[in-house]
This record gives sequence, C-alpha cells and structure tokens, in this order.
Amino acid sequence: MAKLILTPENQIQRLNTIFNSVEQLRDLPLVQLKKRGNPKTWSVLEVILHLNIAYGHYQTKFEEILPNLSSIDVEQKKFKCRAWQKFVIEGQRPKNNVRKWKMKTLKRFEPIIDSEHVDDKKANEIIDSFFALYGHLKETIVTSRGKDVTKIKFASAIGPIVNFYLPESFEFLICHLERHMVQISEILKQVEK
Amino acid sequence: MRDEDFLLLKNLFFNLRISDKEEEHFKSLWCTKSFKQYDLITEAGSIERNFYLVLEGVQAIYVLNEKGEKVVLGFSYTGSPSGVFDSFVSGEPSKIFLEALKPSRLLAISKSDYLDLFKNDPSFYQWGHHFFQEVLFGRLSREVELLTLTAEQRYISFMQRCPDELKVIPQKYLASYLNMKPETFSRLRASTVY
Repeated sequence: MAKLILTPENQIQRLNTIFNSVEQLRDLPLVQLKKRGNPKTWSVLEVILHLNIAYGHYQTKFEEILPNLSSIDVEQKKFKCRAWQKFVIEGQRPKNNVRKWKMKTLKRFEPIIDSEHVDDKKANEIIDSFFALYGHLKETIVTSRGKDVTKIKFASAIGPIVNFYLPESFEFLICHLERHMVQISEILKQVEK
Repeated sequence: MRDEDFLLLKNLFFNLRISDKEEEHFKSLWCTKSFKQYDLITEAGSIERNFYLVLEGVQAIYVLNEKGEKVVLGFSYTGSPSGVFDSFVSGEPSKIFLEALKPSRLLAISKSDYLDLFKNDPSFYQWGHHFFQEVLFGRLSREVELLTLTAEQRYISFMQRCPDELKVIPQKYLASYLNMKPETFSRLRASTVY
C-alpha cells in the first residue's frame, strides 16, 4: 500500500482553496442555499452546519493538546500516516471530484435547520461560524508546524476505535471538508435544474 | 523607518526623483513586518496582499508537487524585493508559498498604496518597467540554466552569484532550487571548487 505522507503546507493550501469556495457561496441567492436537491439530501446550508457541528469535538481536543506539545526549532519532518488511519481518511477523500460512496451520518452530527425561518442574516451566521471554526483549524495546523506532533494521539469524534495524531486528524478533517464540497457542487447542480 | 532601511528602499527604487515632502509620504506607506524562522509569509491558496522589500533574512518561494514536496522557485534576501508577484498583480489566489527560512524583517506596502504610487507619479512606471524586465530576464536565464547545464555547472553558476547569506540555509532548499537531489548537492559541495 502506498504511503500517505502528510505535510502542513499541503493541508494549508487545500484548506485555503476550500475557504475560497465557501466564500463564493455568500454571493448565491438565499433560495439556492436553503433549497434541497431532493427531499432525502441536505441543502447547502445544512451541509455547512453539519461541518460546523463536526468540528466541535476537534476544536476541544486541539485546545487541550496543542499547549502540551513540545516546541521544535528545526523544520518539522514529514509525517507518515498509519495504515488504519489512512484507510479511514481515504474513505472520506473524494476521487476526481466524486464521492466514492455515501455515508450515513451519526445522529449527533445531523444539522437541524428550520428552512422556512432562515433569512440572509441566519445564513451569514452559519457561514461566519464555518470560517471561525475552520479558521481555528488552520491556526492549529500553522502552530503545529513548530511542534513535535509525534507524541500525543487522541480519540476521533467517531470514538476510540479511531485515534489520531494531529496531522492525521487534520487530514481527516480536510478530506471530510473536500467530500462535502463535492456534495455542495452536486446540490447546486440539482437546485439549478 | 530606520535610516538604513530607507537606504535599502531608495536603492530598490533607484530612479525616483521626489521632493522631501513626497519622500515622507512615500516612507509612510511602508510598514515593517517581522517573521520567525519557518513562518509562512504568504500561503498558497491565499491572495498576496503586499509587495515586500527584504531588510533582513532569507525567504524561499516554492510550490508543492503531487507528493507534497516543496519545489523551490527562488529566494529573496537582504535588499531584494519579495512577495508572490503574480498573485499580487492579478489579485487571484496564489499557488505559491513564501516562507521565511531565517528570522526575517520585511518592509511591506499594500496593493492599494502600491497602485497609488503609479497613479500619482509617472516615474514609478519607469521603475515598474525596469523592475518587471529584470524579473523576466532573471526567470529566462534560470530556465536556460535548468534546461542546458549539468548539475555541476548549475551548482557552480549558482554558488558564484549567490550572496553569502543564502549559502547557510538548509541544503534541501538549495538542492531543490537547482533541481537536484540533496545527496547530489551535498556531494557537489564536498567536491567542487567554484
């Protein structure tokens, strides 16, 4: 199995690309953001709210872990993702802008929005929260460049069945974002029809 | 702004003929920014907001290849301009990182202030013409070196022209810039006289 080498620079670049795409969503009419492609799928705003909910666990963990990592004066070495973690990450990563398979979302990560009462202000609040939360992720990645990330691992949001070192958790979160960015493109295509 | 910093700035904008009052205004448009070693000054995926002059330190511009490895396109160092120029000019997100390889102090001017310089004083167009001509010639010369010289010739040519402060940065950055493996660079360093 090919190695998965993780670097913070690669993760920062991909995260910035996602930020640019989400920023462009602000220009879309509200109706496009809150309309579902079909009754069984989410709207764009529901996807973003789901992403916001999904980050909550990691925000808490990062704030706990980061101060406890020792600083390094040299450039961080390449981080090789472990096999089981790679399998979990690759399950999230879209290939050629396609989600390989659909996943059932755990109840606690499901977004609940009363679409009828969502106005521009509420929509902007959801998008603002996205930038605040994933801005935190970016700050964490940037800070981790000067830390020894090979010492502490922690349980993922799924539970202790998957534990992550920081670079693995960053990769998981970014692949999760990329997966949902593909979903947002699919929703927008359906809504525009 | 320190006098020695302004001297570097005047050296970069060598052709300016401005009054004392205009000089004060020109100075006021620049601010000093400090970066620690390995800080990212500009991130790929973001828009370059500033044009820089390096007061101190060495910086690398690089892209990431498919394996996530850094491919170094160039360096900036004391007295040289710095920044991700294509993104600065186009206003589009950059594909390039700018990273401080040594603790760095840079003078920065914002895009709007930079554009105002050109609007308010035609001599900046002469400077701009000269500046981007030099950038183009530099890139062409590098392309010719990469395509026509052997690894040893590239090493000698680079070491003969590069300033001393560039010779002490991590070897892997120099090796990448010269399109060779770090092991090759290390072997050439040990065996080649330039």
